[in-house]
Amino acid sequence: MMRDTFLMSLDAMRSYKVRTFLTLIGVIIGVGSVIMVTTAGNSVGTFVQVQWNVFDPTGMAIGTGTGGATPTLSIRSVSFTPTDVEKISALPNVKVVAPLGIVPLKKVSIRNGFLQWESRPGNVMYASTAALLKIFNSELESGTMFEDGKNEIVISKSFSEVFGKDKTLKVGDTIRIQRVDAITLEAKIVGILKQSKSSYMIGSIATPDIICPTKPYYSTYFGSNVGTIFKRVTAYSVLLAEADDIKNVQVVQDEIYNYLINGSSDAGQYKDKNTDFVVITQQYIVNRIDQVMSVIRMYITAIALISLIIGGIGIANIMFATVTERTREIGTMMAIGAKRRDILQLFLYQSMIIGLLGGVLGITTGIIGSAFVVNLLNQSIQTLGGAISQAGGIGLSYSVEWFIIAAVVGIVTGIAAGVLPARKAAKMDPVVALRYE
Amino acid sequence: MSEYVIEIESLTKIYKSGKTEFKALNNVTLRIRKGDFVAIMGPSGSGKSTLMNIIGCLDRPTSGRIMLDGENISTLSDNELAEIRGKKVGFIFQKFNLIPTMNALKNVDLPMVFIGAKRGDRDRRGSELLEKVGLTNWATHKPSELSGGQQQRVAIARALCNNPAIIFADEPTGNLDTKTGEQIMELLVTLNKEGKTILLVTHAIALKRFANRVVNMLDGEVTEET
Repeated sequence: MMRDTFLMSLDAMRSYKVRTFLTLIGVIIGVGSVIMVTTAGNSVGTFVQVQWNVFDPTGMAIGTGTGGATPTLSIRSVSFTPTDVEKISALPNVKVVAPLGIVPLKKVSIRNGFLQWESRPGNVMYASTAALLKIFNSELESGTMFEDGKNEIVISKSFSEVFGKDKTLKVGDTIRIQRVDAITLEAKIVGILKQSKSSYMIGSIATPDIICPTKPYYSTYFGSNVGTIFKRVTAYSVLLAEADDIKNVQVVQDEIYNYLINGSSDAGQYKDKNTDFVVITQQYIVNRIDQVMSVIRMYITAIALISLIIGGIGIANIMFATVTERTREIGTMMAIGAKRRDILQLFLYQSMIIGLLGGVLGITTGIIGSAFVVNLLNQSIQTLGGAISQAGGIGLSYSVEWFIIAAVVGIVTGIAAGVLPARKAAKMDPVVALRYE
Repeated sequence: MSEYVIEIESLTKIYKSGKTEFKALNNVTLRIRKGDFVAIMGPSGSGKSTLMNIIGCLDRPTSGRIMLDGENISTLSDNELAEIRGKKVGFIFQKFNLIPTMNALKNVDLPMVFIGAKRGDRDRRGSELLEKVGLTNWATHKPSELSGGQQQRVAIARALCNNPAIIFADEPTGNLDTKTGEQIMELLVTLNKEGKTILLVTHAIALKRFANRVVNMLDGEVTEET
């Protein structure tokens, strides 16, 4: 019996091909767009996270800035000394600490016989130690790490092409580095880093092009007169640290913060009174990005869901029209023995089939459409160029849970949209329905 | 078992719309024997359609008692009425009322679908009935591909499907030309001769001659019987 009413529904839908097809399209677009939008959101989310995934999950940045619930880190002031680096390194559960001294560059140049090539400004150079590589999850592709005190540097893969692809810098080359204070220093490239996936660390701190030893390149310091001797203490704006285990990230974060504020630290002494110490963990950064992304995702998903609901309204609309149009048929069926339940089934099956078919085809459309959308996003990212393109573009990352949600919502909307018209049909008075013109 | 297929006692049907009441049937008492060919005649508004609807289990009386094939149908639920319509009653309408999306065969065996008959049984019965009405070659055609006379034959075959106790024909020739109408009436007469009870509702006096009993109605009352 149920099989028969089901077949009758199919028959009816086959007879109203255009109508069925158009209604179906409404659902397909609804379900498909939910999947497309969530997949695009997911893919961009993953991409953005990779962009910011400089640190190991155990990593954290120590600096000054604004504290509170949403701390921000500033690179404008310097507070940390080599002593702080040593003392923090000695704290329990701390695996490694690297200082980060920003060396503002004017330009970089290289001599080739009588010719000289110059880079445009904007390259990022950090004075640090070998520990930086560990925290960055970065490795040398070739060469070795520099030695402190020597005119040696390590450069990034992308920086090796700063003078053009045909003039790639190699290990052993010597370049000239001109700082913004007009001092020019020779620098021998001793190592080249592997390509980094990320382009930013924290806020405006970009991944470095050049990593150099503090001596001789970095000369930001605190000066003080001790008797007749002028004493210089190197000062860094940011320290990067890593906990020995992901479980200890919180502990280490607290330890470092407590060390900084308890007064025994150099930083506590040198810090600008108007700023706070902030220790930002990789986890915190990831969470923040997640929060921002989820707001954006929610917004676009809501829009997509609206289109799904419109698809449902489309079903309801067409089913109402069909029920009205087939009033006399309904009366006839009742006259020859159809129960109200049979009539209800007959129309419910139709909306169910549309919902189900629309759901399945919508998922297919969504899968194909997502690939298309992500491809489109990648093209527009490519035109942005610069730092982002080196990350390798957006990978297609489907959110399977939304497949299920979209399909279920599609089918449920289909059925729900069919309920009222089907009830209307089933409730008809056979006498009135038979007389309907 | 009683010799009557239908026994109606003081049947009254009142339609209400707002405060006005309309008495469509007023204290009608009527009995129809098995194997009768009864024509209920009367102008429109005389109550003949209302009477048919109530006997045909499409509507309920306001008061009174009806026995259909030995069963009291005056106080049944919607579902029970639907079941009786499927098993004991066959309808033939003026406008044929075939399902346009189904072919002739499917239209004929549709009443069997609603009583839960199997596909094979339905096909067999459907073909048998199409043969009876002379439309074997038209089984796979949709109603829109059939002439009016052919459509009405399909409808008659459908009315016979579940072997009902009585067949109601509501102006069965109203949408047909005279010649085709005659043929349809002949078919009904043949069925009656085979033992089917037929109740014809019409205002066409020309159809009187096919019936063996005529019930005249006016203003909701049975005025005379011949």
